[in-house]
Amino acid sequence: MNQLKPPEISYKSRTCKNTIRLACWGGAWVAATALMGFGPKFLWNKTLVFTLLAVGVNVAVGVGMILANKRYIAELDELQQRVYLNALAITVGVAVVASVPFSVMDRYHVIPFHADISDLVMLMSLTYVVSVAYGNWRYR
Amino acid sequence: MKNRLKVLRAERNWTQAQLADALDVSRQTVNAIETGKFDPSLPLAFRAARLFALHIEEIFHDEDRSSLATES
Repeated sequence: MNQLKPPEISYKSRTCKNTIRLACWGGAWVAATALMGFGPKFLWNKTLVFTLLAVGVNVAVGVGMILANKRYIAELDELQQRVYLNALAITVGVAVVASVPFSVMDRYHVIPFHADISDLVMLMSLTYVVSVAYGNWRYR
Repeated sequence: MKNRLKVLRAERNWTQAQLADALDVSRQTVNAIETGKFDPSLPLAFRAARLFALHIEEIFHDEDRSSLATES
C-alpha cells in the first residue's frame, strides 16, 4: 500500500470536527433564541435595552451559525455536497410554495389558528432533515 | 459512466474505507462511485488515477463511447 498516503487530517475527523462546531453554534443559537423569546417576559420585565441586546446577541450568534454551516458544507466531499445541495433546493422550494397558501389561509380564516413564522421554520427543518436522509439513503 | 475502481481496489486488497481515506472522501462516496450511482468530478478522477498510477481512461469509461466503439 505504498501509494495510499492519507492526508494529515482525514476526511472523517475533519467532518466530525465540523459537525461538533456546527452543533455548538446551533445550540448557542437555540439558547440565544430562547433568551430573546422568553427573556423580556421572565427575566427583565420588558426593558427595551435588554431586549435589544438579546436581539443583537441572537443575530450575532445566528451569523456564526450560518458561517459554521457554510464551512461544514464546503468541507464535505462532492457526494455529500450534492446531497446537501438537493436538500437545500427542496427545502427552499417547499418553503416558498407552502408559505404563500398558508398565509392566505390565515388571512381568510380557513385555518383555525394564526399562521406563525415558527410553523414555517419547523416545516423547513423537517423538510431539510427528510431530504438529507433521503439523499443519503439514495447513495448508500 | 462505468469504472474499474472496485476491481483495482480488490487487486490491491484495499477496503473501501482505506480507498476513501486515500482519496480524502467518505466511504459512502467510494461505494456510490463503484456501484455507478455517482460520477466523480474531474479532480477526484485525477486523484484516483494518480493513486492507481493509471490514466483516467483506464479507470473510467464513457458508456456511450464504449457502445459506439463496439458498433464500429
